Amino acid sequence: MESSTNPRNDHDSSNAGLANIVSSLEPDQLIAAKKRYHWPRRKLTRLETALLWALRIYLIFMLGVVLYQIWHAVR
Amino acid sequence: MTDPKTNPRPLNPTSSDLSASSTASADVVITHEDIDRAHDRERVWETRSRRGLGSRARLLWLLIGPGILVMLGENDGPSMLSYAATGARFGIGFFIPFVILTFLMACVVQEMTVRLGAATHRGHAELIFDRFGPFWGWFSMIDLMIGNFLTLVTEFIAVRAGLGFFGVPPWLAVLAAWLILFGALMAHRYWTWERVTLLAALCNLIFVPVALLSHPHWGSIGHALVTWKPLPGGLTPDLVLIVLADIGATVTPWMLFFQQSAIADKGLTTHDIRFGRVDTAVGAALAALAALATMVAAAPLFAHGMSTANFEAGEFAQALRPYVGQWGSALFALGMFEAGMVAAVTISTSSAYAFGEVAHRPHSLNLPFGEGKSFYLVLVLEAAAAAGLVLIPGIPLVYIVLVVNVIAVLAMPPALLFLYMLVNDREVMGDLVSPPWANILAIGVVTVLVAAGILFGVSVVAPQALSVFGGR
Repeated sequence: MESSTNPRNDHDSSNAGLANIVSSLEPDQLIAAKKRYHWPRRKLTRLETALLWALRIYLIFMLGVVLYQIWHAVR
Repeated sequence: MTDPKTNPRPLNPTSSDLSASSTASADVVITHEDIDRAHDRERVWETRSRRGLGSRARLLWLLIGPGILVMLGENDGPSMLSYAATGARFGIGFFIPFVILTFLMACVVQEMTVRLGAATHRGHAELIFDRFGPFWGWFSMIDLMIGNFLTLVTEFIAVRAGLGFFGVPPWLAVLAAWLILFGALMAHRYWTWERVTLLAALCNLIFVPVALLSHPHWGSIGHALVTWKPLPGGLTPDLVLIVLADIGATVTPWMLFFQQSAIADKGLTTHDIRFGRVDTAVGAALAALAALATMVAAAPLFAHGMSTANFEAGEFAQALRPYVGQWGSALFALGMFEAGMVAAVTISTSSAYAFGEVAHRPHSLNLPFGEGKSFYLVLVLEAAAAAGLVLIPGIPLVYIVLVVNVIAVLAMPPALLFLYMLVNDREVMGDLVSPPWANILAIGVVTVLVAAGILFGVSVVAPQALSVFGGR
């Protein structure tokens, strides 16, 4: 068989097979594409920034409450 | 029928750029991970091209996974303990419909991750870093990593307690659990890992026969579903803690990161969103069933006035023996082991995904060990550290369980804000941005979570102030 004696043909057919298999993926599902493209940073509005900070402060404050509860229970 | 081979998804603004240099181009490196994922997708497209009920069922079988895993994974050690404590302290009443409500909240939240994962093919951590930058990204990662590690510790506590019921020494129990977790990764194939973990996760329903063995009063359950009553004791700090624990048992930050990353790893696309929603809804229904069964199974302890304030999993199983029999209590202990085991697998995987996405290291369960060293190492080392911590003599395990449940609820609103902004980001989502009804529901969930957190804070700092809300 020609394909078994000609390494170039082997290479071509395996490449074609590979391309056929990988065509089941959407272009941006390929790892190479994911590495190449990253979403650009978005600009936060004032409201968004304020909400992010508010919830961050809420979390830190509430963690303090949890620590207080543990301290209280241990005591 | 749309075929990706002839009609690539136009949503992503980069698709057209990428398609020009994708599979046919010599300069694009096709990785092992791409090929494995492509094989999975090929099966999906082949099945989708056929007609008939059988093909639809097969398509569902191929596409389900992340939703069921995330929901049953969240029915973890502390969650099942929390449901058991709820049944034992409050019986059958208010908490039956309340727990169903928390799972509906989980559905609303997780549906957003389905759309986000399918539309972007990226993990949650990666998108947060890309769109909001490293400052906010690291806040989000620190929340996740601390929460995940503490939760993992509690999973090994559940494993230890569950197997302890059968006389297995703690060191052997946690070692066995760690080896199972390690073994699940050996296939180096997302599909195999997902199916094995799914099978294990379905064992969460082991709590259903335990509930049936407790001979529940179906009329009381029906009455509770309709009236949300009774609520013995009224509004007390104890009630607030249980409310918070039950919310923390269904909606937590790791679920957002896990499901989105798993959807990207599985290779779901925008064509699969409908099935992703079904997957999530089925997962929520199964998890709610297991949660309700656990509450019902523990309800006889309430009826007989037993104090369960400091019970751990093994003690619950022992205490239930007079009401559910030897087999029932053994199944309960086995259920606790299963809950801890499956959650240990899914939570450590969520950490590994997030680490890989942020560190720009390969992150997929399709990776051979050589290509995904950092991914697998994070996964198994985090689990090993958590397992080791459980074995330290004298460590306050009950406090860790308490802290984990509470932290999960408190960390959720900031995590949800990132998710909300991402699913409303037209540049990322295109036409798949959240519709107004989904946004109203999401804002409702955040409001409930913040209100529950504030109520908890009040109950700790100034418990007498609960009287303002009609409590005592």
